[in-house]
Amino acid sequence: MSLAASPSRLRATRFDGVAIVAAIATLVCAAPAVAVLALALTQGGDADFGAALIAEGAVGTTTLVLAGGAGALVFGAAAAWLVTLCNFPGRRVFEWALAIPLAAPSYILAYAYASMTWAGRSFIPVEGMWGVAFIYAVGLYPYVYLAARAAFASQSACALEAARMLGASPMRVFWRVALPLARPGIAAGAALACMEIAADYGAAQHFGLSTLSTAIFRAWYAHGSPAVALQISGVLLVAAMVFLFVERSARGRASFAGGSSRWRPLPRYNLKSLAATAAVIFCALLIVFGALLPLLWLARLAVLHANVQDIAGPFANSLLLSTLGTLITLALASAIAVAARRASAWGKTPLFAAGMGYAAPGAVIALGALSLFGLARDAGWVGGLSAALSLTALFWTYAARFSAAGVGPVDAGLARLSKGLDASARTLGAGPWRRFFSIDLPIAAPSLAAAALILFVEILKELPATLILRPFNFDTLAVKAYSYASDERLLQAAAPSLLIFLAGLAPIVILARSIERGRAGVTP
Amino acid sequence: MNGVKLRNVRRSYGKTPALDDVSFTAPEGQVVALLGASGSGKSTILRLIAGLEAVDAGEIHLGGARVSSVGFMLPTEARRIGMVFQDYSLFPHLTAGANVAFGLDKLGRATRDETALHWLDRVGLKHRAGAYPHELSGGEQQRVALARALAPKPHAILLDEPFSGLDASLRAELRDATLATLGEAHTTTLFVTHDAEDALQAADRLVILKSGHVLQEGPPREVYDAPASVDAAAALGPINIFKGVIKNGAIDTPFGPVAAKHLPNGSQATAVVRAEALTLSPGGGARVAALRPHGAHDLARIESQGATWRALTPARQPLGDTVSVEIQSAGAFAFSD
Repeated sequence: MSLAASPSRLRATRFDGVAIVAAIATLVCAAPAVAVLALALTQGGDADFGAALIAEGAVGTTTLVLAGGAGALVFGAAAAWLVTLCNFPGRRVFEWALAIPLAAPSYILAYAYASMTWAGRSFIPVEGMWGVAFIYAVGLYPYVYLAARAAFASQSACALEAARMLGASPMRVFWRVALPLARPGIAAGAALACMEIAADYGAAQHFGLSTLSTAIFRAWYAHGSPAVALQISGVLLVAAMVFLFVERSARGRASFAGGSSRWRPLPRYNLKSLAATAAVIFCALLIVFGALLPLLWLARLAVLHANVQDIAGPFANSLLLSTLGTLITLALASAIAVAARRASAWGKTPLFAAGMGYAAPGAVIALGALSLFGLARDAGWVGGLSAALSLTALFWTYAARFSAAGVGPVDAGLARLSKGLDASARTLGAGPWRRFFSIDLPIAAPSLAAAALILFVEILKELPATLILRPFNFDTLAVKAYSYASDERLLQAAAPSLLIFLAGLAPIVILARSIERGRAGVTP
Repeated sequence: MNGVKLRNVRRSYGKTPALDDVSFTAPEGQVVALLGASGSGKSTILRLIAGLEAVDAGEIHLGGARVSSVGFMLPTEARRIGMVFQDYSLFPHLTAGANVAFGLDKLGRATRDETALHWLDRVGLKHRAGAYPHELSGGEQQRVALARALAPKPHAILLDEPFSGLDASLRAELRDATLATLGEAHTTTLFVTHDAEDALQAADRLVILKSGHVLQEGPPREVYDAPASVDAAAALGPINIFKGVIKNGAIDTPFGPVAAKHLPNGSQATAVVRAEALTLSPGGGARVAALRPHGAHDLARIESQGATWRALTPARQPLGDTVSVEIQSAGAFAFSD
């Protein structure tokens, strides 16, 4: 083979096909959020009306973020500390079972608690602002729990032992060593929980609260003002960016606090009878309120009132949307993850673009996608919003919204791929596509499967964007549950809610187990 | 001419120059060691030759053709370079056999498998063809990486600290085995090391680097016997340094004169004496401050007129508390300041 190369090969290593695809993927994922920001700043609309809605919504959202976020923070951090640094009966089961409430989206919990309260069967009447804050706290504490548990678990036993050898009591070790080391992890988890609360539409809407998320719908549907809806979206997007920034920077420090590479099982405190009982009851109650109670209640209602014909169509539609959405989103997520690792020129831009969509509420991204289609229509590039176009907008929204959820696992898979492997493959004559298909892809395959499962369930649970963008009369399980619940037909809402809940369980168990296996020092 | 040739190569990271005007040649079929401390730029040279990075100035020629120059860069995958990475970088999802076969995809399946097995056999690992990298020992992984790099018959093979990850006991053995394999393959080889012994033992030519500059280039014997500078002398083993003024064509060190006939009398100069160029005999003007085993030798710390030098002496030689010191001219050099 001749080594005399044509000048066209110049810079080929820096700008290969994979990088171009990745750049497009990044643009696709970032476009709706960017469009919202741009349009929120440029569109007019009724300024007074917009300001009033924003002010009212901001109060509601802030209250919920503070109350729900604080609850999630305390519940999650306490549970994480108990299962990682203490010993009590059932600890090993609680370790993964505490993640179960992640399976249920907040709106499903809201429907379950509302119908329980309505039927007079709830231990705690769940109503109004505090009721919704309670739902967020018991439903979203796993975000804090998982992050804090990882932070506690990755702490070096050496640091804890060193503290004990210096004469520190258990409580002092907790307050002075374990907690400070885990603080970034806990902060990252709390930021995620706050992000979810700010983005939630279904639960707040069902209890008639005014938040920024519900204000978007009010501005648009009740008052027919897309411009104001966009302005509110812009505010919400900025709030989401703040949470995202907190999460990212906290997580950066969390990995820094990982410390020693020497890993041994953590020294646990054996809880005595009373403390052990309290720990068991605490953990059990979190699971009961976050998952078990609403799950059983929904199951009971579903068995009594389910109408199979009624949900067969939505079920099929959900499967269709989730499957296609997963494939599209996963492809984009993989491209972004690869780009972030390969193209050092733009650093973490692709990851940030994907993260921006993930932080943004579904309704915001949906508005962004819709606005872009509106611009395209005004320019004469596309026709009116047909079913095909609105499905396209919906998949686009899913991709923009959830690609980060896929990027995470794929990136973790690629992390197993040292830079040396890519360089090795290049010295052995493999071009970009061969490297992608024969090195990157097979090594990341298990992570891709996990990512696919997570994406499938995320899309299945998604409510606000689906509500806005679905073609006319095209119901999914989430939409069906929502529309029954809005009509106060909570009995009929139980069956689709239950199905969403059950589907959500599978990835949660896998997630919990992978975290267990992926703990430092334990090879899979 | 084939082989590898670097001409006036520069490379910086941001404002930090990693390589500054580096030129040297690795003649075809020879083994060239790039010797230097970390940060000397030796690994950067390998990455530039492999095409993993671009040059800021200068040219790189490979197998007689220009592969890198300003604004031109033949992609790595088109260079036919074999590289053995410090961590070996075996593909974890492929068996040893499939790893070696990876670079042979232009061949038919049967030929490819046969060639891969042939190369595994050359490194003594034919029986491990079906094993995955994590099932192999460190030494075995290194050999698979070597077979994988050699199998596509590269123009040159680059080894990045190839022996650094191995136990001392394995090291010499594997170094010799690697050299034997490379010798049979008659492949131009560049290897990076910070270990003077590896470089002296394994290379046909040395390139000594410091802070992105080539200090000296040449056959090991020549570089060892006639270092071009204090740093070049220090790169190949422990040395003693004394700064003084030249009188009567020599520098008078506390342990004896070092010839400096090529330098003018009265000028400031530095005398460099290799630790192995000091011959000690019992009784004399220098005090023995410490005497410790050092492999096949003993390492003595000797003191005279306030100076402390290190001397490698035959092991277990009875010396007593004081010694007389003789400087062997073959290991003593003078450089003008």
